[in-house]
Amino acid sequence: MTSINSTADMRNFLETYDGPSVRIMEVCGTHTHEIFRQGIRRFLSPKINLISGPGCPVCVTPAAYIDEAVYLALEKGCTLTTFGDLVRVPGNVKSLQQARAEGGKVKIVYSPIDAEKYAKDHPEEQVVFLSVGFETTTPSDVIAVKNAVRDGLDNFSLLTANKTMPGAYEAMASSTDAYLYPGHVHAIIGTKLCRDLAERGVSGTIAGFTGDELLAALAVTVKNVSEGKPFFVNAYPRVVTDEGSPAAVALVDKFMKSCDAEWRGIGVIPDSGVELRDEYAAYDARKKYSVPKMEFERKTACKCGIVLQGKILPSECPLFGKACNPDHPVGACMVSDEGACSAFYMYGGQS
Amino acid sequence: MKEVITLAHGSGGRKTSELIGEIFRKNLGNEYFTADDAAVLPRPEGRIAMSTDGFIVSPWKYPGGNIGRLAVCGTVNDLACMGAKPLYLTCSYIIEEGLPIEDLELIAKTMGETAREAGVNIVAGDTKVAGKGQVDKIFITTAGVGVIGEGINTSGKFAKPGDKIIVTGDVGRHGTAILLARDEYGIEADVTSDCAPLWEPVRRALEVCPEMHVIRDATRGGVGTVLYEIADEAGVGIRVDRTSVPVAPEVSGVTGLLGLEPLYLACEGRMVMICPAEKAQAVVDVLKGTKYTEGATIIGEVTEDETGRVVMTTEVGGQTYLPKPGNELLPRIC
Amino acid sequence: MCVGLAAKIISVKDGVAMVDCTGAKREISAELLDDLEPGDYVMVHAGCAIAKITDDDKSETEKVLKENLA
Repeated sequence: MTSINSTADMRNFLETYDGPSVRIMEVCGTHTHEIFRQGIRRFLSPKINLISGPGCPVCVTPAAYIDEAVYLALEKGCTLTTFGDLVRVPGNVKSLQQARAEGGKVKIVYSPIDAEKYAKDHPEEQVVFLSVGFETTTPSDVIAVKNAVRDGLDNFSLLTANKTMPGAYEAMASSTDAYLYPGHVHAIIGTKLCRDLAERGVSGTIAGFTGDELLAALAVTVKNVSEGKPFFVNAYPRVVTDEGSPAAVALVDKFMKSCDAEWRGIGVIPDSGVELRDEYAAYDARKKYSVPKMEFERKTACKCGIVLQGKILPSECPLFGKACNPDHPVGACMVSDEGACSAFYMYGGQS
Repeated sequence: MKEVITLAHGSGGRKTSELIGEIFRKNLGNEYFTADDAAVLPRPEGRIAMSTDGFIVSPWKYPGGNIGRLAVCGTVNDLACMGAKPLYLTCSYIIEEGLPIEDLELIAKTMGETAREAGVNIVAGDTKVAGKGQVDKIFITTAGVGVIGEGINTSGKFAKPGDKIIVTGDVGRHGTAILLARDEYGIEADVTSDCAPLWEPVRRALEVCPEMHVIRDATRGGVGTVLYEIADEAGVGIRVDRTSVPVAPEVSGVTGLLGLEPLYLACEGRMVMICPAEKAQAVVDVLKGTKYTEGATIIGEVTEDETGRVVMTTEVGGQTYLPKPGNELLPRIC
Repeated sequence: MCVGLAAKIISVKDGVAMVDCTGAKREISAELLDDLEPGDYVMVHAGCAIAKITDDDKSETEKVLKENLA
């Protein structure tokens, strides 16, 4: 192989690759989004298949979670604080946007730490932060709780749906030849897990987020897969170190414990989430407000579940682009800009 | 105590007259400004262009301007898009009871200054006062008349394959300035609104390129929305080189933190111009030498294929569609 | 899932840092990282510095390519 050392070389390699077919699953919504935004799918050789796996926290959050949030806003009069991504996600009954139109208080924040500050400044309101996200985001959620403890707040809590990636890596391993590991998750948890997985035959490359970083990670992945041996490469070393952030892991462990978690469309994956430890039950909105179990299951022909598993392309869902589009999303993958269906739709359904 | 607007100011009686005299006539007055029921004006030679626009902005004052400047520039720029020299404006105010009179005075003063800068006369106005909570401080509607230069014919539907696309400065400034002024995300940046009257740069561009095909004011939906509108109206494709779209570093920082697309953030002083390729550089050169359009640059071209779509050439040399304009802009974090 | 942005530390005190992303300034939590100093670059996510950045993406990419695709 001629040497590859520029953007054009990497593109050329990925465009003209003619070795054995390679399936690569990205498990990070920001990767999905950036790959589309950079137009990478369009020039990939047909021998390289990118699968958008379950990497967008909004997309894997079950509809019942939105029902719980709507309940807190409309029945309990809580002020919901949330990342913008969640506002349009349909629940079984309604979205937060609809709840807001009906008088529910929904405030978009940049950070859970800001949500805690808001609660401190508004003691008359009961503030709930909608805590979704993976290992990258959970430390911010925990810092918010820690600050609430420090500030002695009794009007701040989290509605948790925090997820962890390792269980998903195991669960989806048969759907792909290699993972494009999410750079910012591994900035927190380090690289040990990836090395262990490689020993068990599960391959992958940690990727950054700029155009060059993504091309480099893809090129490295394709080359390694085509050579046939399990591998692990950290292609984002400027941010991801082997040990990750022990401080973040320790902080999360102090406040949170592992739990089984439901992934929208996939089902319950054991030990794939975290929730607040019992000592911090006062900050757990589900316990604090005795949120009842939400059991209205809405039946639709939505295929988000198998889209997330990479079994079909978004465009193969019967609702795609018809009943389900970003203005009227049926499934969560159409809602978030990072959802596989939304990205396919917005960027013109290129595959 | 600060003097405030009361319902009496909108009753049509003495208080209304005082308001008109002391605030509006004083700041906006000119030889055509009428005290009668309608302004009587000399008839311009040639075709006229007419436009109207309503202005609501929260907060009403922001770095780089206020709703008064916006209300004049918005209509003046709409007229300029048709190649029309703005002549006359009318303005209608709906004011929330309780607005401090000094705020209204600042708005009127800004409108007067901006109108003089834009070379347009405000000739008639109307004031209504609405009860508390019925409007957000102040809403302004302006309407304007301009006269179109001979031989000038611009419209979104005239974009032709091969034409070059020019943007007259960096994008997303106004939207970012407003977002920062609302202070919802704790971000600070030195970003001022780009709000400006653009007839002068348009006039000069038309001087070097009277056959200009399209001029479109990129306002609330940003440059991205304008490009999609034109692609649709003209039945053409649009190709934009993302690396050549000018974005101020501060705007990039803010949109980067919040996961927003600068092409969809509002501008209030930026035009998209589309002209035959051979004239594009001359247009850019003249714009670069004109106040408010110093940052003009070519960002792309009109294509025959990809009808109705905006295709972006990306940093790594890929091609992708610019997502279609749509929903409420929400910060994307996770 | 995790939009991150590189930012430069302007000041840091008691686990809170002021960062600058090409002119956009914001206060963020710095408590996950020890020994941060003004001038350091960090990756910011959801109001928190999650990692120190040790290189720019161009030279990082060059190294990754050299080590893996040479």
